[in-house]
Amino acid sequence: MVAGQRVPVIRQLSFELMPGRILGVVGESGAGKSMIGNAIAHALPPGFSVTSGSLLLDNEDLVHLAPARRRALLGRDIAFIAQEPMTALNPVLTIGAQFNEHLRRLSIAERRERALQLLDAVHLRDGAALLRRYPHQLSGGMCQRVLIAMAFAGRPRLIVADEPTTALDVTIQARIVQLIAELQHNADTSVLFITHDLRLASRICDDILVLYSGRAVEQGRAGQLLAEPAHPYTRCLQLASPTISGKRSVLAALPDRMPGLLEAAALQGCRFAPRCPIAQNDCAATDPPDHRIGASHQVACHHSERTRGIAVTAAPDVPAVGGGAPLLRLDDVGKQFRAGWRSSGTWAVRATSFTIDAGEFVGLVGESGSGKSTLARLIMGLERTSTGTIMLGARDVTHATQADARHRLHWAQMVFQDTQSALNPRRRVGDIVTQTLQAGRHAIRRAQRMDRARVLLAEVGLPAEFVERYPAQLSGGQRQRVNIARALCAAPRLLVADEIVSGLDVSVQAQLLALLQRLRAELGIALLFISHDLSVVRHLCERVLVMHQGAIVEQGPTERVFAAPRDNYTRRLLAAVPPDDPAQPWRPFPDEAETTPAAVLPRAAAAAPSG
Amino acid sequence: MTALRSGRVLAGAVLIACVALCALFAPLLAHDPGEQDLLSILLPPGSPGFVLGTDSLGRDQLARLLFGAQLALLVALTAACGAAILGTVLAHIAGYFGGFIDWLISRAVEVWLSFPPVILSLILMVGLGTGADKVVLAIVLVDWTRFCRVLRAEVLVTVRRDYVTAARLAGFSHMQTLLHEVLPATLPLLITLLSLEMGIAVIVEAVLSFVGLGVTAEQVAWGQMIADARANFAQAPWTVLLPMAAIFITVTGFNLLGDGLRRSLDVRLSVARSV
Repeated sequence: MVAGQRVPVIRQLSFELMPGRILGVVGESGAGKSMIGNAIAHALPPGFSVTSGSLLLDNEDLVHLAPARRRALLGRDIAFIAQEPMTALNPVLTIGAQFNEHLRRLSIAERRERALQLLDAVHLRDGAALLRRYPHQLSGGMCQRVLIAMAFAGRPRLIVADEPTTALDVTIQARIVQLIAELQHNADTSVLFITHDLRLASRICDDILVLYSGRAVEQGRAGQLLAEPAHPYTRCLQLASPTISGKRSVLAALPDRMPGLLEAAALQGCRFAPRCPIAQNDCAATDPPDHRIGASHQVACHHSERTRGIAVTAAPDVPAVGGGAPLLRLDDVGKQFRAGWRSSGTWAVRATSFTIDAGEFVGLVGESGSGKSTLARLIMGLERTSTGTIMLGARDVTHATQADARHRLHWAQMVFQDTQSALNPRRRVGDIVTQTLQAGRHAIRRAQRMDRARVLLAEVGLPAEFVERYPAQLSGGQRQRVNIARALCAAPRLLVADEIVSGLDVSVQAQLLALLQRLRAELGIALLFISHDLSVVRHLCERVLVMHQGAIVEQGPTERVFAAPRDNYTRRLLAAVPPDDPAQPWRPFPDEAETTPAAVLPRAAAAAPSG
Repeated sequence: MTALRSGRVLAGAVLIACVALCALFAPLLAHDPGEQDLLSILLPPGSPGFVLGTDSLGRDQLARLLFGAQLALLVALTAACGAAILGTVLAHIAGYFGGFIDWLISRAVEVWLSFPPVILSLILMVGLGTGADKVVLAIVLVDWTRFCRVLRAEVLVTVRRDYVTAARLAGFSHMQTLLHEVLPATLPLLITLLSLEMGIAVIVEAVLSFVGLGVTAEQVAWGQMIADARANFAQAPWTVLLPMAAIFITVTGFNLLGDGLRRSLDVRLSVARSV
């Protein structure tokens, strides 16, 4: 596959997917995972084409298929499950009408019967009512279930699922993944499961293919590949994602990032070599061939025997947090939103009390809509509280006055989630990070501000010449560092970080987590870390707050809460995270929309190595 | 600037530049536009001494067209800028602060838009009296709503971006936030609207002059030329067609420029193209 200057996006990729098996394609953004799905669907972006090789579905080459035959195959023999469930359904048609499109082969009388059957198979309650509804009346999880039901409607031979759970909450993600596995098992369909999450893939896939910079660097049986990863990249991916149990270890933060298409084409040897912890001289010279190291395990690395040597180091003990007066204190804080002036309103946050001490990292977890972000906005004075008081140091900032805002500047700053939206595309990095100095009537000259900007950039690990760049010229991870640098400008004592690593690849995430820990060691900064990812919170924070429907249902030391959760909701959140050990059974709780709870066997353990 | 490389922008800019040069050097290129020569009335274009012929009072058509360009461009520039400033300020205030202020400004725009624009400017001109400055004022008072309505929507989108919140958290005043964070995002749209508005201003000025409510009798305006020549259309069609062509060229120039800028500066369109 080739773009513009004829650069390969995917190289020498071959894999086989046996009937009734699930193949996981794992890789970071830019690895070319989605290109595989696009090539199968014959929906490559303009300018890209399959230049060599073949894609065989039961001996029919999908690349050189007559359009009529392809139309017959796609959607019937090959079905797709999209990443964004809300946009994959047509908003102006009812669910029933959209089901009919997938059931054209049946008579009109049979269609309804079959649709109800399928909805029942994805454990959706009250299918008959559901068929009359429109997509906007359904939650994201329900939409994804409907899409899965539709994908299985034509009894396809192959299903391509491209990041089907990335846009969903963790609790829903768990069930969706299980659902795909369950239906796949019953219908004996093959599934190509594209994901960035190695742990998730290990949970439901029979085989795993790890993609790096367009090349399959390792493939094999899921159990084997995870137990003994042979490629250093696979090993680093594993070590870069924080665990949910066991002892906390230092995350393997790979330097830099995956090369872009043009950079990669310029590399002579192994494309992972520049970042590889065990690279030797010959790695940069010649591209390693695929070689077999087991019955069905192959790897593209010159020194795969050394991979085992990439060691885990235990995390250093967290520095003791200085006592004294708390940095932030919330007492009975509540926030009510009113739809109109006569409505009674809904409480987004209710009677919340907690404190954060100097230098303390506190995690705030919960599903979307639990009020996490509203709480952050209340602390930052972006919303007015309905009840309660907020203290920053010794000052009451509940009423968010001008004087409070000036006080807050040096006490608490916010790091935003979406860097696309958080960094003004029309301002230079140097101006963005020193905004605080530009503010007010005592603006400081630009030359002086740029000096400060260079110091700040160095603090977050970016080169000084970035001051003159625009955000669009930076990668996602670099942008998030700029975002953090801006928050640090006024030397605040507390950072409020709303989902700041959620959109990032695991290796970049590991780099940022390391940065936050270094900032604590160097600046003694405290952090309120809002996240839906429990493993990350466990890795980073010594205390955790669990939020559900606007209230904090449980709080305490992270280890204690995660090891012995007291609240039912905390248990549910924890159950949704796949266990670190692939052999351990994973039993997420059923969600509200479901009919019957289902327990699914761990696949990697149950699947016998055959075929 | 990539915007300048687009064909439309270039074509528009060249047309406007030609008209602007004519207007600028009018005193050098032609003699007095008011001078009457009753012995040579309604001469066709190409007559000796009168390159583009004469009108019913024997006035040089070329001179009148060139001096008319002066007025047309002056009115277009000042009126469009005036309307842009008024509309932009109100749009940013409404979109940024929201709430009651937004409600008030939006309702004012709606009431304003419910008057037919031509009737509104005619009424204004009757009240204000004639003169180029009155024409400008009438256009500003009618057309600020165009800027206000479109830019307010853009401001609403921009203020929801986290970088605006971040600027507030960094201690920026409202004024600083608007100037450094919001305005740069709305500027491309503003420039586009400004260019299109200049084309509209040329037409409105011509219409007002045509019905005799525009400039005073001593000034030369294209609309007035058409009005004067109407009676002799059968004998001397060029006396009507030449000022019409002048209006057409100028408005086309502004529209091409505006449309080209819109295509080059609009982020959404450029994203679609770059894939």
